[in-house]
Order: sequence, then structure tokens, then C-alpha cells
Amino acid sequence: MGSNKLSNRIRRLRFDNGEMTQQQLADRVGVTRQTIIAIEAGKYAPSLPLAFKIARAFGKPIEDIFQYEDENT
Amino acid sequence: MSKLQKSAWFNLGLITTGSLFALLCFALAAGRIEKGFNYINVILCLIMMCILIPVIYIISKKKSYEAGFDEREKMINQRATNLSLSGLIIFLYLACFIPFIALGGGNIIKVIYLPVIFICTVFTAQLIKSIAVIVQCALEEEDGQ
Repeated sequence: MGSNKLSNRIRRLRFDNGEMTQQQLADRVGVTRQTIIAIEAGKYAPSLPLAFKIARAFGKPIEDIFQYEDENT
Repeated sequence: MSKLQKSAWFNLGLITTGSLFALLCFALAAGRIEKGFNYINVILCLIMMCILIPVIYIISKKKSYEAGFDEREKMINQRATNLSLSGLIIFLYLACFIPFIALGGGNIIKVIYLPVIFICTVFTAQLIKSIAVIVQCALEEEDGQ
């Protein structure tokens, strides 16, 4: 069984979107700043609804925000 | 400090205060109860529990931050609750089996220890839950720096 890896580009996209702060993104998607920090650091995998909210906050498709790498593929 | 950490500290303080108060009331009543069975003492104990438990419950619910938890905080809270249940079972196991092993099956312990075991079990469960929440938050903050 291979290891799964979920990565994201949230930090990059925040800077590209008018240097949005973590708190501003957290307020937009309805979570705490600590949750955004944990997601950016890869310590927490967001639920599907939250992932979609984050994608909508940046106006991009979800695949542009989150990448899933399976070592088997 | 996040709502989750505030909730953990608040609940820890509340249960510590409640446990100390319960133990104090129990210690004061125990002396009278030991003199013999007395309906008035039993009624006083029941009244105390009927007041103390709802008051602690109402205060904890009114001041509870849990309604405002986001999904990650709910997950941390759930993990901490599961851990506290495990701790509760382990504590009860130790409280029941250590006297049995130490004193032997034929010996007798005073029933006065049963309320103490109950109060200590409740306190231990909340202590474990609060510590689990605080440690999980601290580990994430450390990694996030």
C-alpha cells in the first residue's frame, strides 16, 4: 500500500490575492486562523465542504488548490 | 488563545472547583454519616447532589465555547473525549482492582471511599480531556511556527 500525500498551494494563493492574511481567509471560509495554519502546514486535511469553500474564496477550481499524490500511481 | 484552549482551561477550572467543593462537603458530612444511618443526612446529600450537578452543568453549558468550534476543533475535542473515556476506564479499573489485589478478596473497605472514587473519576476524566486538548493545540502551534 503506497503512502498518500495531500498538498496545497494556499499560502502562495494568499500572497497572490492581495497578500490575504490567514485571518482574512479564515473569516471568509468560517474557520479559525489555527485551522488555516494547520491546513497550510499539511497537518490537517480539510473536509470536502471546507476545501470547496477555500477554492471559492480564491475563485479557482479545487484541483488548483489541493493536490493529491499517491505513490502507487 | 483559541476558543478550544479557553474551553479546555475553563472546564478544567470548573471541574477542579466542583470536585474540591464536593470533596469538602463530603468530608464535612462524612463525619456525621459515620455515626449511623440517618434519613436527614441522606436527604441532605441528595439535595446537595441535586443542586451541585445541575449548577455545574448549567454553568458549563452557558459558558461553553463548543457551539463555536470549527471542524478541526471538533475533531480535536472528539479525540480528547475518547482519550478521557479511556482514562476513566483505566482509573476505575485501578481504583477497584488495586484494593482487591492489595487487601485480598476477604477484606472489607469502608463505603465512605465510594463517593471519593466517584469524584476522583469525574475529575480525572475531565483532567485528561483538558490536557489532551491543550497538548494537541500546543503541538500544532509548535509545528506551525
